[in-house]
This record gives sequence, structure tokens and C-alpha cells, in this order.
Amino acid sequence: MPVIDLWAKDGYLSTPDGNSIYFWGFSKSETGPAQLPGPHIVARQGETININLYNTLTEPVSISFSGQSGIMADGQPVQPQYTDGKLLSFFNHAEPGGMVSYTFTPSFPGTFIYESGTNPHKQVPMGLYGGMVVRPADYNPDAREFKTAYGAGTDTEYDREYLLITWEIDPDMHQAVEEGKPYQVSKFLPRYWTLNGRCAPDTMLMDGLDYLPHQPYGSMIMGQPGEKILMRYIGAGIENHPLHPHGTHTRVVAVDGRLLRNENVDLSFKRFTVLVGAGQTYDQIYQWDDLGYTTQNPIPTILPNLRNMGVGDAGWTMWSGSPYLGVKGDIPVGVVSYNEFGEYYFMLHSHEELQITNWGEFPGGMMTMVAIYPSLSPAVGILE
Amino acid sequence: MATVIKRFGATDGWVSMPDGTDHYIFGFVDISVVPENQIFQYRGKATLLAPLLDVYEGDEVYLTLTNLGFPNRPDLDDTHTIHWHGFPNQIPLWDGVPEASISVPVGRDFTYYYQPLDPGTYIHHCHFEPVEHIQMGMVGPVTVRPKLEKELGLKFAYNDENTAYDREGLIFLTELDPRPHHLVANVQEFDWTEYSPEYWLINGRSYPDTVKPANDQSMPQQPFSALVEAYQGEKVLLRFVNIGFQQHCLQIPGVPLKVVGLDAQQLRGYNGEDISYWRDVIYIAAGQTMDVIFTAPRAGIYPLYNRNLNKNTIAGTEFGGMVTEIRVSPKP
Repeated sequence: MPVIDLWAKDGYLSTPDGNSIYFWGFSKSETGPAQLPGPHIVARQGETININLYNTLTEPVSISFSGQSGIMADGQPVQPQYTDGKLLSFFNHAEPGGMVSYTFTPSFPGTFIYESGTNPHKQVPMGLYGGMVVRPADYNPDAREFKTAYGAGTDTEYDREYLLITWEIDPDMHQAVEEGKPYQVSKFLPRYWTLNGRCAPDTMLMDGLDYLPHQPYGSMIMGQPGEKILMRYIGAGIENHPLHPHGTHTRVVAVDGRLLRNENVDLSFKRFTVLVGAGQTYDQIYQWDDLGYTTQNPIPTILPNLRNMGVGDAGWTMWSGSPYLGVKGDIPVGVVSYNEFGEYYFMLHSHEELQITNWGEFPGGMMTMVAIYPSLSPAVGILE
Repeated sequence: MATVIKRFGATDGWVSMPDGTDHYIFGFVDISVVPENQIFQYRGKATLLAPLLDVYEGDEVYLTLTNLGFPNRPDLDDTHTIHWHGFPNQIPLWDGVPEASISVPVGRDFTYYYQPLDPGTYIHHCHFEPVEHIQMGMVGPVTVRPKLEKELGLKFAYNDENTAYDREGLIFLTELDPRPHHLVANVQEFDWTEYSPEYWLINGRSYPDTVKPANDQSMPQQPFSALVEAYQGEKVLLRFVNIGFQQHCLQIPGVPLKVVGLDAQQLRGYNGEDISYWRDVIYIAAGQTMDVIFTAPRAGIYPLYNRNLNKNTIAGTEFGGMVTEIRVSPKP
């Protein structure tokens, strides 16, 4: 039986505008840093897993596993916890310095959130949440027919997969918790919006950076033309966020871990903006097909002299300087290009545009890019 | 298929609300047929909404953006772009994201090219510092009509006879927070996390202006009417667009609404399953579009309004805001 240890701890997250914000998060080990979001849990349909929660915080902590049934805590069915007749936790919790051991068997595949069930109005906005992916029972990443989100024959084959978890930060709340002062959640006013715990442009950086020890997950989506890119969205904040990828539509194949299909009737649908509600999950296939322009089949418009155009007004650009995939052009002198091989970049962002700022300054917040490379290692876009 | 050649100028201007207030905007103005030596006469004449781009599936569209500058803010030399929101399989050059391709400085032109292959309701907007440029008004509608219309000589939302209609209306939703408009006009910064709109608009107007005719003389920079008129029994297509920063929920009591398309995609499953559905309330998030068909009921006036009832106001006081009317006449 797979055993996963989660340690509830505190730490400081970093924002690109130089802020350092106190938060609570889950860690993989006793000595590791608190993480935002918590460590990804990858489980398998029908396989019982055991999750041990160790609590180093000063108040009780529990975990809610959405979409799961028959959850046991220390061998008993989970139950709400009360002190003096007042609700304290939705589920069995670990006392400060204590632990609780959950076991359950995921009965169907999909994307799920796990999050605190104790003082959740405070603990989830403080950072006690993470993503869980349940593989179908027949999952086999080495056989295309069985490398699916929902099982063979469900039209959910994919080439690469990514998890994007939305969340918001009201720094006043975090400071109040750090200083032990009262805070009115009804006054919640976010100044930062995150994907996988980071604000743009940090979202576009790679996983596991030394200088973001508490925010290990990047959000850059990478693939090749024509590939099926599985995007798993999770809404971990207390607000809804309309996520809009440029480049093409996504086909929504499942919501809340439920395949959009009744018997043989397919109910999946395409959207260019998906509203990720609080606590919801959306599984989608993004497939960008090349329009076919190459240096041999040129674009039907004239590329102006780039010295006359706005390129990298922010001092940097993701552009190659060429209209063509896999070709690098001449970027004007003085502009830094982060383009590697002539890959295409398409923005993916919240369309409540104030959310793509860091405390009001664009660019920032809930924004990343989809990068389409002319060729890309098969080792990119794997969730473990 | 046809070749469509359009030219939009990016500039600034002013819009008015029913309470008599004026608000500074950025926006686009259609200069497609203006001689080159006269384009500067269109500085300061941006419209809210930006001009409609109305094309057929398969057309070749050459859309030139000319940055005319801001006569009210000559110090502000922002570049602009046009982003066709929802265009599938786009290449970055024509996607209008400054961080991933080109933007257009003051006095320069750039031509975007599109060959739309999927009919439906889209949006175009500037993507330069989008929180500012969208709120300031650089937003407009895009309609792509299906080939089936040309084949059968009738009107359809998609390439499917089940999406036939007689008349169409645009319900294009935005909000206006007067503070950033005032601050930008006065060379000041706004903290966008404090965004809190006071005006809720359909087609760039607040009720009762929404039901005034198109190109009304009293609102030269708000040319789009939101009044929908039909004869009893006619099928009416409403193209809902939300390019504000909030969710909205629109309803027309007494008129059931059939949702046939979302985000410029007909509601069809993998195997062609019909997954269209009926609603009384159209709940739409920022950056979404919905194609909705209803049958005009018995003659009368049917208000269309926001079920977030606080948005049916002018600056929070008078009745107005995100309201318009469906006026149904008896069969002629």
C-alpha cells in the first residue's frame, strides 16, 4: 500500500515584486520545507493509499479529500470533530504536535483537490491545499491506448499532462495570522493571484528552483504541434477564476473527476475560457495544430522592420523574432529574448484581468504561457 | 470566400453615462475607408465598443492596426495590439500578445491576417497591459458567419439548420470603474486590485441609453444600440459576450433561452451529439461568449437585465445599468 507522509508547517513564500509572505503548507518530510501547493499525490484507481498527516502548527489540522468516499482515520470512518459542542474540523484532525492516518481507495480516476478541513476559511487561504491525480486502473504510460486520463476507450488519450492550481493571497490575512492578530475573512481582498503557488512571471520558471524553496512547481505548459496536452485545473482558492489559454480552445472532458459521458453519449465540449470555480476541477485536452506557415510557405503579410515595432517593451520578450516555428529572427538590440529554439508562446491567464497583476502591477499574477516547440523531449510534461 | 481589408485606428476619447458624467477611454475607430492624409482627423474619436469585425468562415481578413496616439495624453506613448480572442490554431505573430510577438508604437501600422474556419461569436481587444487597456475600452465584437448561410441564403449561427434565426442582437457586457478612467486622464496610477465598478454596460451604454438607436447623435462615441426588435414568432439569435472583469447573469423573464454555442463552438460532443440546452439565466464568466436562440413570444416589451440586481443601477443609485429591452411587434 502506497504511504504518503504530509507535514503541516509554516514558511515564507516569495512574490516577484519582492514581497515575502508567511504561509502554512504541507511538506513531504519532517525536515523538508512547507510547500505551496502541497506535494502532488498521484494515486491509482482501486488501490488503497495511506496518508499520514503530521501537524507541527499551533492549531489542529485535518485533510479533506474531495471526490473520495469511505475514508478512514486511524481505522475509524472519518467524522466531524467538535469541542464543547462547537464544530472544529469537518474531518478527524491531528492535534498540534500530533498525527492522524487516513486511508481510502479511490474508486474512479480524475483530478481532485486535497485541502484542510479545519478552520478551512483560514487554513486553505493560508496555503494548506494540494492536488491529487488518480490514474485509471488500466493506466499504462508506455502504451498510447492506455495513457489516458479516464481509461482506454474514453477519448482521453494524451501526450503530456500538466496540473494548474489557482489560489489567491490577501497579504493582510497572512500577516494577521503570523502576528496572532484577529482577521475578518469577510474582508478578504486579494492582492496576488497564483498558479501552482507562484505569481507571474515566476510561473514561467522551471520546477524546483533553489531560490523558490517553498514554491517548487512551475506552470509553463510545453508541447509540440498536434499533441494532446492534458491540462488539469484545480480551484484551490475561495474565488472563481476564468482561465483563458491563447492559441486554441480546450476540450473539457471531465469536471470534478467525472468523465463527461453518459453511456455512449459524449458530453464533452470546447471552450476558450473555462471558469474554474472554488473547489472545482476541470480536465481538458489542448491541441494546437500548426497553420502550416514555413519559410517555404510564407505568411501572406509583410513582417515590418522590427526596429519600428514594439518588441519587448518590458525589456524582455518570449518571441523568437520570426513568424515561423523553429526559426529565430533578429530581435532588436537591447531586448532580451527568452526564446530558445523558435518555439511559439501562447499566454494562458485569468480573464478577470486585474488578477494578472502583482498588487496592481502588470505583468503578474495568474498568468503563464503555453510553449509549442518544434521538437521536445518526451520527458517533459510528466506528473509524478 | 472573400478578401476583407480593414483598418482600425487606436486612440482615445470620451463616453457619457445617463447621469451626465463623462469618462475618458482608450479605444479603436474604423478608418478602413479614410484617405491616408485624413486619418489624423480620427485622433480622439475612439468608440466604445470598438468597431464590429463581421466576416464569413473562409474569408481572408487583413486587419491593419494604426496607432494614432492619445491626443488627451500626448505624454503616454503606449503601444497597442489586436488580439482575436478565441481564434484557434493562431500563430503568435497575429495573436497580439506584446510579450510573445509585436506591438504597434505611435505612428506605426501593423497588419494582422486571419482566415477564420470556425463560425461563432468572438471578441477582439488590445492585449497591451490588458488590465488597463481593456478597462479603458479597447474591446469589440467579432462575428464569423457560417458557409451554410451562403449555400442556403438564410441565416444560421453555425453550419447546422437547427441554428437558423431571423434576427440577431449583440449583448456585449463590460463594466466601468470611474476611478481608473479619471486617474489615467489625469496622469495618475491606479491600484487595479482596488477595482470596483460603478457602471455596468451593454454594448458600451448604460440603460436607458441602451435602447436608444444606433449612432445616436447624443452619444457619438457609443454607436452600438442594445435594443432588440423582432416580430412575434421570429427566431432571434443573441450573441452574449463578457469582456468585463466580473461574472454576469442575464435573464429575460418569460423568454426561454436555448444555448446553441459556447465560445464560438457549437454544442456538439465527439460523435456529433446535440448537447445544446435551455436556460432562463445566462451565467457568463469574463472572457466567455454564448450563442443563444429564442422565439419571439406574443407582442410586448421584454426587459433583459442582470440578475446580479446591484448591476442594474447607474453609479449605485438610479435604476439603469445592465438593462435593455426586447421589443416584439405583432406579425405584419
